[in-house]
Amino acid sequence: MKDLNEMSQTDQESAVDVLKMQARGVDVFYGAGGRTGSAAGMAADLAADKNVTHAIKGVDVDIADKTVTAFIGPSGCGKSTFLRVLNRMNDTIEGCRVTGKVTLEGEDIYDPNVDPVQLRAKVGMVFQKPNPFPKSIFDNVAYGPRIHGLSSNKADLADIVERSLRRAAIWNEVKDRLDAPGTGLSGGQQQRLCIARAVATSPEVLLMDEPCSSLDPIATAQVEELIDDLRSRYSVVIVTHSMQQAARVSQKTAFFHLGNLVEFGDTDKIFTNPSDPRTESYITGRIG
Amino acid sequence: MSDVTQKAPKRSLFAPDARTQKRNRAEKRFQYYGMAAVGVGIFALIVLLTSILGSGLSSFRQTYISFPVDLLAERIDPEGNRNPAEMAAVTTFGYMPLLAMSFQAHLEAEGIEHEMGARELAAMLSDDAPAQIRDRVLANPDLVGTTIDVQILVGGRIDGFFKGRVTMASAERDRNVSPAQLVLAQVLADRGDVVTRFNWDFITAPDASGQRPEAAGLGVAIIGSFYMMLVVLALAPPIGVAASIYLEEFAAKNRFTDLIEVNISNLAAVPSIVFGILGLAVFINFMEFNQSSPLVGGLVLTLMTLPTIIITTRASLRAVPPSIRQAALGLGASRMQSVFHHVLPLAMPGILTGTIIGLAQALGETAPLLLIGMVAFVREYPDLMSTHSNSFPLMGDGATALPVQVYSWTQRADPAFVERASGAIIVLLVFLVVMNAIAILLRRRFERRW
Ligand SMILES: Nc1ncnc2c1ncn2[C@@H]1O[C@H](COP(=O)(O)OP(=O)(O)OP(=O)(O)O)[C@@H](O)[C@H]1O
Ligand SMILES: [Mg+2]
Repeated sequence: MKDLNEMSQTDQESAVDVLKMQARGVDVFYGAGGRTGSAAGMAADLAADKNVTHAIKGVDVDIADKTVTAFIGPSGCGKSTFLRVLNRMNDTIEGCRVTGKVTLEGEDIYDPNVDPVQLRAKVGMVFQKPNPFPKSIFDNVAYGPRIHGLSSNKADLADIVERSLRRAAIWNEVKDRLDAPGTGLSGGQQQRLCIARAVATSPEVLLMDEPCSSLDPIATAQVEELIDDLRSRYSVVIVTHSMQQAARVSQKTAFFHLGNLVEFGDTDKIFTNPSDPRTESYITGRIG
Repeated sequence: MSDVTQKAPKRSLFAPDARTQKRNRAEKRFQYYGMAAVGVGIFALIVLLTSILGSGLSSFRQTYISFPVDLLAERIDPEGNRNPAEMAAVTTFGYMPLLAMSFQAHLEAEGIEHEMGARELAAMLSDDAPAQIRDRVLANPDLVGTTIDVQILVGGRIDGFFKGRVTMASAERDRNVSPAQLVLAQVLADRGDVVTRFNWDFITAPDASGQRPEAAGLGVAIIGSFYMMLVVLALAPPIGVAASIYLEEFAAKNRFTDLIEVNISNLAAVPSIVFGILGLAVFINFMEFNQSSPLVGGLVLTLMTLPTIIITTRASLRAVPPSIRQAALGLGASRMQSVFHHVLPLAMPGILTGTIIGLAQALGETAPLLLIGMVAFVREYPDLMSTHSNSFPLMGDGATALPVQVYSWTQRADPAFVERASGAIIVLLVFLVVMNAIAILLRRRFERRW
């Protein structure tokens, strides 16, 4: 009875949700070489090619505003690949081709007239592997605000850096050594530094690829708190291998399997009453 | 199950098994190979350095003779009005007898015994000495008619006697020197009239003809090499680094860029003399730049250095982890920002190494310079702003270069030039060491920024 109540509540919430991003019929291929051509023809062509990895197959996803969306699925199913579709980071990968339509607030982000640089300022990303710049902790966080001109003076910048580091739950550990190299931090600290760096540019959508994979339970709880906090203003998409985490932080969940989107819907429904048997076996730990 | 555990009996960690021992022996052996290889290298280096220093260091010292010279007015200023323009009509041949007479008079006045004729005595002095006196007189006409104390070069053979190259026995067989000259030289040396001292002229003076090795210097060659390095430094690193960044970070990977890549690798392997032919055809015949000018030399060496710089720069750009670029791009940096803010600083040590290697190569290169005429005998210091009308107004004067000077000195008959050539190699090596030291310092600076 209680479950039902909560479900209807979330249903109501999602009903008023504004659509932020929308993906329709997205296919991603790796190892496509320099091939180009009309989108539909190329997709069919690449799908038939044995040497090309068909990493994402006709995926439709809606990312609502002020919502946390979780991507779950076994390793290698294409979660990271699909996440990179959303901010066109796949463009930077040699031989990677994306077909289909993705929109941000109704605008096609794969339109030839769209500057991916501008897109990425709006759709920020935390990578699966921590990749701090080999610069000081301060410069790591300050880099985004600097290139986007988000601060008017030094004090302002220092303020943004401090706020971002606090939100990423790392301020207390690094406040005395902001000049130390970011690469000298521990793996988990580096990951939180990267989160702070991404948050500092105030993106509208934040893509997080397994942000808690090397964090202890305390830091994980703090990052989850941050995600919840971000939800009040932004959309967050999080890839996670932890079912509990997906259930805790997300309102929507997408389950990927072998490049297909098997099931997408309200988190509560996916975890309590999945409609696809593959989803059920995955969340109960039988495939993966 | 129990069978298996019995077959592998428990071993102590302190007793290495046969496999470990074998592996350790292989490792030891490999270390010995490595040490032997390093040893061979060090041995070769020591042999090289001792042979070059042994035969070349003496070129930094030169033997001089001092005696008073009567600057007879009727000989060097026949018009008698002390006008340098008119006095310039008297060539060095007019000064030679003056020196010979003064030398003879000096020996008589001091009561030094010898059994030589005037000609044999005069032959002890360098052919270059009259020119030195003449320059001094023309610079200061008031000296005419006075007696001045001079210190002038002795001939190459006498100099060789004090450096151990010429002996009494060899003088017997040598047309250019007699034992009597050597005996007198020794007497004068014992009196302190003949001294061997440090010779700045070796570094600053221009080349001299084959008959007067004692006066030959590296001045023109050093300036020529320096100007060429300026040209290479101004052109090769910017062009090379820009090309590498474009090819590595921006250009699409397709057949065309593959072709370029293959061609750059091939160019790096092209014999350097081919670049000389190219320079001759393009810069001298087509663009009509002055031949043997540092400008043309520098351009040829730039072409030769570019492949080296491009290959090393691309390798060091490729060594920067892609995750750094992705981090920058993911934050909304443009491709150029990601390259200039993050990738380039990380690749800088490698780029510097490649650039310095390229420059060092260029500094030591001879073959292409021979083809563009830099082997010419040049006694004039090249002008930075040359006045040659048919040429580009910068560095258009003829010059020669250090390695070419080494080459042309080794071609000359007089054995004194062997010493000169070795001395020039020492100068060249010093420049190379300085350049490498600068490279190491710069690299340190950049590496400290992690
Ligand atoms: N750069 C690449 N080049 C070629 N193939 C790739 C590349 N990146 C991913 N793939 C392939 O695409 C498929 C999806 O990979 P992806 O990284 O998206 O998986 P994932 O769901 O994020 O896995 P994980 O949970 O282990 O991170 C895999 O089969 C992988 O081999
Ligand atoms: Mg992944």
